[in-house]
Amino acid sequence: MKDQLIVSKKFKTAAYILIGIGVVSFALGFAFDAKRTWANYLLNNYYFLSLAMGAAFFGAIQYITQSGWSAAFKRISEAMVAYIPFAAVFFLLLFFGMHSIFEWTHEEVVAEDHLLQHKSAYLNIPFFFTRIVVFFGAWILLSKLLRKLSLKEDETGGLDYFVKSEMYSKIFIFVIAISFSLFAVDMLMSLEPQWFSTIFAAKSFIAAFMHGSSIITLVVIILSRLGKLEFLNRSHLHDFTRYIFMSSIVWGYFNFVEFMLIWYGNIPEETAWFVHRWDGAYKILFFVNIILNWFAPFIVLMPRKTSRSKLFIFPVIVLLIIGQYTELYYIIWPAVVHEAKFGLLEIGTFIGFAGVFALVVATWLSKASLVPSKHPYIEESMQHHF
Amino acid sequence: MNKDYILGVFKDEESLVEAFEKVKQKGILPFEVYTPYPVHEILEGMGNKTRISHAAFFFGLFSAIGILTFLTWAATISWPINYGGKPTNSFPSFIVVTIVATILSITLLTLFTFSARAKIFPGKVPEIFHSRATDDRFVMVIDKKSLGENEESVNAIITAHGEVE
Repeated sequence: MKDQLIVSKKFKTAAYILIGIGVVSFALGFAFDAKRTWANYLLNNYYFLSLAMGAAFFGAIQYITQSGWSAAFKRISEAMVAYIPFAAVFFLLLFFGMHSIFEWTHEEVVAEDHLLQHKSAYLNIPFFFTRIVVFFGAWILLSKLLRKLSLKEDETGGLDYFVKSEMYSKIFIFVIAISFSLFAVDMLMSLEPQWFSTIFAAKSFIAAFMHGSSIITLVVIILSRLGKLEFLNRSHLHDFTRYIFMSSIVWGYFNFVEFMLIWYGNIPEETAWFVHRWDGAYKILFFVNIILNWFAPFIVLMPRKTSRSKLFIFPVIVLLIIGQYTELYYIIWPAVVHEAKFGLLEIGTFIGFAGVFALVVATWLSKASLVPSKHPYIEESMQHHF
Repeated sequence: MNKDYILGVFKDEESLVEAFEKVKQKGILPFEVYTPYPVHEILEGMGNKTRISHAAFFFGLFSAIGILTFLTWAATISWPINYGGKPTNSFPSFIVVTIVATILSITLLTLFTFSARAKIFPGKVPEIFHSRATDDRFVMVIDKKSLGENEESVNAIITAHGEVE
């Protein structure tokens, strides 16, 4: 296997140091402010899971559409999907922080609130964790199956594995669409259980897809800087940015639709969520979100020239990395921490999770040949040009 | 048969592209190439970069600004009406109208720009060089004036891959 990625010692040590920083700031966080620490834990956990889920969706779409151009890059989405089992462990550990984060876990709150009593058939701790286990079980099962088929294909070749992968991908997108939507409702929307918003799940889903594909692009750019993926050309980059561009428009649309309809309808159950986000730092964040996640990618990636040059794509990806953070911060902080606090704790935990994610992706990239040499579309992918 | 042009008619993409490249090597740029579907080599080889997307962008930009300005002016200055206690400048609700009307104006303005540039108008007699150019054949039109002394060799190139008509 000539296209093997070797994870350097330096990278591993760096990742371990990042994880160490994360663990330390997480532990110190408990000493000072447990609630805020759990909010950080939830945010970063969801953040990196959403990247992995976005990559899973990206990979599944490539099979279903029988895309030729992306065949050579499928190892990258596979490596990102390998983070899902780790996220499963992290999310199960959330059990110890439930009472700090989720209002509906407090029995005395539920007893006074008629709406929460009504919702308690769905929002209760046993069912909540059953859902987590079922969702993660399905995701891990399907992603492992796809990975196994893809590795077998590398040995023997032929069309059989591709046909099978396409079949499983078809199942996978339905599973992702339903389960990840419910998952986003569980993890983010139920932070304020009195709130209603129908499009929230769709918005979280498209945000995951957008940031997942932007991280795939980032990894591709990094790998090409390391001298791998020599066949990478401007057409590939253009196709990657099309995903970012398209999903940023959809995100902008969903975000606007959610806000505009709630603003226009003016129903207290819905507006409350926005009302207490309409002052101070949160009001600024509301606009920052729109600029980072929609306006910047939309404007920068629109012209043909910029959408195929690493010089322009890279800063947009950096903005999107920040954008997903501010977006989740905007959702989680007003509900849990109330005050917009941002300090070393936030940076530390983010760094820690980023270390885990980077280490997992790099390790899984190095476990198989970087280019799936027997993929039926591999030639087309390498010659891709338009 | 045309007096001023040589028509090369090809049955498939490969022979068209090969002949096209050879003709271009002679330093001759075909007047026009008609293909049933876009052929990448031809698009690049002909060297005509379209500017319609730039035009469309500016149509969009100006119509978006114009529509937003008009809506704001109409709702706040010209005819302020109280709709259910909303402020007269209800910006979020203008966006929807702006998006839809901008798409409409981009479509229409781009269509008109294209028609004007391509000199297409209702009732125009179509210029069809070859009866099957709009069908399944690949037709390369070469201006005889651009040939100079190469007429023989260009004819030979075309007949090697297709037919001269």
